[in-house]
Amino acid sequence: MVSKLTRKPLKKPGARRGPRSAAQRVTGLLVMLPWIMQRGRVKISTMAKQFNLSEAELVDDLQMAAVCGVPPYTPDALIDVYMDNGMVIAEVPLVFSRPLKLSTAELFAISVMAKTAMQLPGADKQGPLSSALAKLAPLMPSGADSIKVELPRTRYVKELREAAITGERHQIEYFSPASLKRTTRLITARKVFENAGRWYVAADDHLSGEDRVFRVDRIEALLATDTFDEIRELDEEDLPWFSQALPQVTLRVEKSARWIVESYPYVSRVNNRDASVDLTMSLTSEHWLGRLLLRAGTGVKVLKPKAYRDLGKRCAQTVLARYSASDLTS
Amino acid sequence: MAVKISQAERMMNLLALLVDRTKPLTLRQIRQELGKQYPDSDEAARAAFERDKAALREIGIPIQTKTLGGDAAGEVTYSVNRSNYELSDLRLSDDERLALQLAVATVRLGAQHGEEALWKLGGERVLRPTAISVNIGLVDENMSVITDAVMQRRTLNFDYKGEKRQVDPYGMLSRSGFWYIIGFDHLRRDQRVFRVDRIEGKVAASQTRAFKSPVGFDVATAVPTEKQMLAAGDGEQATATVLVDAALAVGVRNEFGDSSVIRERPDGSVEFSIPCANMAAFRLWLFAMVESAEVLGPQVIRAQVVQWLEELTVGN
Repeated sequence: MVSKLTRKPLKKPGARRGPRSAAQRVTGLLVMLPWIMQRGRVKISTMAKQFNLSEAELVDDLQMAAVCGVPPYTPDALIDVYMDNGMVIAEVPLVFSRPLKLSTAELFAISVMAKTAMQLPGADKQGPLSSALAKLAPLMPSGADSIKVELPRTRYVKELREAAITGERHQIEYFSPASLKRTTRLITARKVFENAGRWYVAADDHLSGEDRVFRVDRIEALLATDTFDEIRELDEEDLPWFSQALPQVTLRVEKSARWIVESYPYVSRVNNRDASVDLTMSLTSEHWLGRLLLRAGTGVKVLKPKAYRDLGKRCAQTVLARYSASDLTS
Repeated sequence: MAVKISQAERMMNLLALLVDRTKPLTLRQIRQELGKQYPDSDEAARAAFERDKAALREIGIPIQTKTLGGDAAGEVTYSVNRSNYELSDLRLSDDERLALQLAVATVRLGAQHGEEALWKLGGERVLRPTAISVNIGLVDENMSVITDAVMQRRTLNFDYKGEKRQVDPYGMLSRSGFWYIIGFDHLRRDQRVFRVDRIEGKVAASQTRAFKSPVGFDVATAVPTEKQMLAAGDGEQATATVLVDAALAVGVRNEFGDSSVIRERPDGSVEFSIPCANMAAFRLWLFAMVESAEVLGPQVIRAQVVQWLEELTVGN
């Protein structure tokens, strides 16, 4: 169903480990204090979730902030933030009332994210995102304009996004290169996502009765059915990628075919002394592996399972048979 | 005796003091103001102060220093000007803030900088999943140095294909899951494209701004597309005639356009004219279709394809 997944596992933004340094705690407070002051009062649990902190960490930081200020450290000279009945409350702003300037990394991120979002099908090019970018423009360093993200232009992305929002079932004509067949199936789209230059849709597949991921560029026709299913939001981590139960294949990749290491997802990798690499990959289908071996040529061989050691040879023979059958020289 | 206090709390108090006082302060004055927050011994207090100062600078607070003359010759004063580190009010509307929130929720960079920018802009991280998302891999260990250099126009130094390169990065492009740097390569004395994940080892950037991009530079056209790659080579033949079975012909037509069609056959298969000057790229493209495509000519290209296939049938 899907031929490619991200080369590295997706991480939840903000996931972190280990104790925080003093600089991290101070930066966090300098970001959070103006943020609370703008809102006046926020639930501790909401705020902890928002800032990727445990409630204990947040309470610790805010208790510390509440005793910080300027000499003589009388109540009126301290940062006016306190907690009451599960709420964080900030009142009179002292010195930390304005947010910090955006770092170059933050400017890069917000600019790239906003410009990429503007390219999405159906995006309003004259809307609030565009005017927000215009307001941010004076802050951007001179090189910001020369950083671009190119998204693939694929038919039906806009319609499938709408379908994920409304829960409307669609009938699709789907082409599978492995079987060279087209199937007609009913799907309920749950999330449309782009990864490594391709658009995918995660959907309930009513033909197989399973959650599936389809490549959008292989959907050849899409038809709304006017039947609606309950809306189900899918988080990135819940995407039905390859099943863990898929068999695995280990390949020895010589330097001449190193592009495979860079282009295909793998489960594990061992670098050998002779510059070759042993890659273990999830095997989605024999057709997929055969195609990979054909493209890679003599720079790759299958180490295991044994059953696939001659797959490249078998594929080459199949293609050669076609050339022999249509020998144009005779 | 010094009071027991965490470095974070002392840093907060130091910053609050330097922001609050209109006049620059010496370390002696700072220690007096902060009471027993710094250690009693001069040496330990100086070391702790230097640590605090470095950490504040690291998070983007510029602490200005000035060496005094006259009676206080040699003493250094410290001050912080709020306008140097505080964000001015951008007057974002609620709709604009919401649009940025949605953009940050939709586009994933693999780092938290987008969320941090949002908070500083008064926005919130959207915690519910979105119906559409884009995953831009920004996971390479060198990316922060590279993006900073491109934004600030600083020269990069790195190893690439076994050679030391000094590159003025004119721009960056993310395409099909890869990041590219396009810039002036001082080694080749020409504009070149580098794929970030192929850089060997660490990247270093110059401290000063060093160059300007050429007038009219366009990052998107500077990196050849897959289609252009097929034509970018020194092979003897510029194009090949390729017969593609009906099942895959639609996709090839979409990729290369109607102008690439030579002839449609009654069974739905199509003969295409495909660039093949770059034979390595042509092989990858052709064999992706396995037995559903066949090179009809020129004979030299067809013979090459047959040879590739025969090589694979030997051994194993």
